[in-house]
Amino acid sequence: MSKLRRAVNNVNLRSFRFWLQIAFFILFVYGGYFAITLGNNLPTFSCGFNQEGRPGVCFLLPMQHLLAADWSRLFGFMGIGVLVAFLTFALWFIFLNKAWCGYACPLGTIQDWITSLRTKLGVRYSSYSEEQFKKLKVVKYVLLALTVLIPLGIGGALLPHSMGTPFCEICPGRMILPLFSGDTSQLTIDFSTKSSMILTGLGMLITGLFFVGAFVKKRFFCFFCPMSALLYLFSKPALLNLKKDGDKCTRCGDCYRVCDMEIKEIADDVEQTNIMQDDCIMCMKCVAACPEEGALKATFIGLPIFESTEEGFIKRMNQHQEPNNDAS
Amino acid sequence: MSTTPYRLITCLFIILLYSSAAIGGTLWLSDQSPHASHGGAHAHGGPVKVRRGVFYKNLWLRHGDQPQNDNYITGGTHFSPMQLLNAKGQLSELKVERDKMHGMLNVDFPMPDEGFYNVYINHQWLDKGRRLFLIAKAEVLKHSCREGHDHVKENMPVKHNPKVPLEIVRERLPKENFHTLIGHGDTVTFTVMSKGKPQPGAEVTLTTDRGWSKKEITDEKGQVSYAMIRDYYPKWHEFNKRNTQPYVVSAEYLAPISGFLDGEHYRDTLYRSSYSGNFYPSPRDYESYAFGLSFGVFAIVFSGLAIYLYRRRRNRPYREVRFHE
Repeated sequence: MSKLRRAVNNVNLRSFRFWLQIAFFILFVYGGYFAITLGNNLPTFSCGFNQEGRPGVCFLLPMQHLLAADWSRLFGFMGIGVLVAFLTFALWFIFLNKAWCGYACPLGTIQDWITSLRTKLGVRYSSYSEEQFKKLKVVKYVLLALTVLIPLGIGGALLPHSMGTPFCEICPGRMILPLFSGDTSQLTIDFSTKSSMILTGLGMLITGLFFVGAFVKKRFFCFFCPMSALLYLFSKPALLNLKKDGDKCTRCGDCYRVCDMEIKEIADDVEQTNIMQDDCIMCMKCVAACPEEGALKATFIGLPIFESTEEGFIKRMNQHQEPNNDAS
Repeated sequence: MSTTPYRLITCLFIILLYSSAAIGGTLWLSDQSPHASHGGAHAHGGPVKVRRGVFYKNLWLRHGDQPQNDNYITGGTHFSPMQLLNAKGQLSELKVERDKMHGMLNVDFPMPDEGFYNVYINHQWLDKGRRLFLIAKAEVLKHSCREGHDHVKENMPVKHNPKVPLEIVRERLPKENFHTLIGHGDTVTFTVMSKGKPQPGAEVTLTTDRGWSKKEITDEKGQVSYAMIRDYYPKWHEFNKRNTQPYVVSAEYLAPISGFLDGEHYRDTLYRSSYSGNFYPSPRDYESYAFGLSFGVFAIVFSGLAIYLYRRRRNRPYREVRFHE
């Protein structure tokens, strides 16, 4: 048992994550071709607009559809259906917590590939100032609120039905993920109504920004993702968790430096045990970069499954030297 | 004189007039209610009613040669029971009912399973020694996204009833699924079948909502193809991409089948079959790749340039500025 634990703690996380992300990417983008069906309530961007390849549908799409139903139905029997959908989503989510973002999300994986390309080209990355960080992290909650409120407004006949699934209209996943199965039909502006025209136009602008943003900033879009906000709101009862032992932390800052999401608390906070923050994607790069024995650990139902060790740290340091790209 | 008896006589006269009306043109089934408000919900496959969680479809009997203006059939005409070929391929009978408001003939049937339902009705009579045999068919889709999409592919193949003497079958479009809408410009193929076998040489007419029609003769496979025309020209602010336009396809075939009907002899039989469906504006009418890609490229170029210039400005080496006083 101790041998297995040692092997896990010494794992080459970069390589493990790379291959696991590819496996998830194939599952969520091409799974439909292998007749895999995972339902309509997945807590990750298995985009519903990728009609040929998807094995299931990202929960945000059916959630908006359901909430846009007529109020008399939504607050009647149909409300039970909404609750069932939400519970199914929660059941999927509870196992992996926000590791859905760090490992399974195809849009996140694409951003990691773009980051690798930037690294290979020797272009330096950008980071936010602390003030920018605080302001921008609110955006995903605003988007989540709009993702819920606009469909409710449609159901109550307060907003036009053509607003349909407002977040999906502006989500870059709608444009990008179907491209992997050869479907270019989402790269258009829909002029049928004013609201469709505005939303699809905004969607194409955001898609353009996605590529540039992901090139200069690691996990650029995850910062604004309402799915990330929704997952965090319900992350407390999740089985997979990220824990920190503040007594063992020397505040060397290695964990902060490797964090794609620039979460400062991971290095600074020595008080809290449950260190997971709302922007965390549970990539576990912080655990792999920590040289202190047991200071950071990933637990599943309270049992440690991957923890920081000096031996693991040295081994990983020897395996690969990070290219030195100074932040601007 | 009181007006009440006068009104009563007028109503009776109208009822008698409708009762004796013959079915002219094509007999077809429509999912458009004759009443302004039918209180129905909408699903993929058109308007439905939901009772205790089960979708119910209401189809109305109509006749004529122009779908937009065709009459709804009222009481007086006797039809044999409708036949329903359900999503599982099981055949059952449906009772034709009269609508309480105006006595219009319709059928209301449950669609508990996901997939396509075929409804058939026929009506026959003798006209100068010839038997006229009218068959109306409607193919209705039941799909709710809440039921998921795992079962779509297995439910896509077309179904037909080998007992129907002349049946029109709409072949599926390439990559058709439960969300596919037939749009302007799409080429739709119909196969005419006689008791389950392709019928070459049958005369087929497609008529759109506003009366445009085209005749074709079926080939050796019993097939004809039509490119759906654009028949919807609203102002931009009135445009509705879900605008439903009915179309009716009718096929005629004169068969040398003689016999007796209600004790009267007929020398041959003219089969006239119909298939009704809906088509919609094509996405090509309201979606633009040119604008979409321009917006995307603009965002990439503008933001890329902005970041490049921002970084270049920050990295510019210090240069001393001297003033000559």
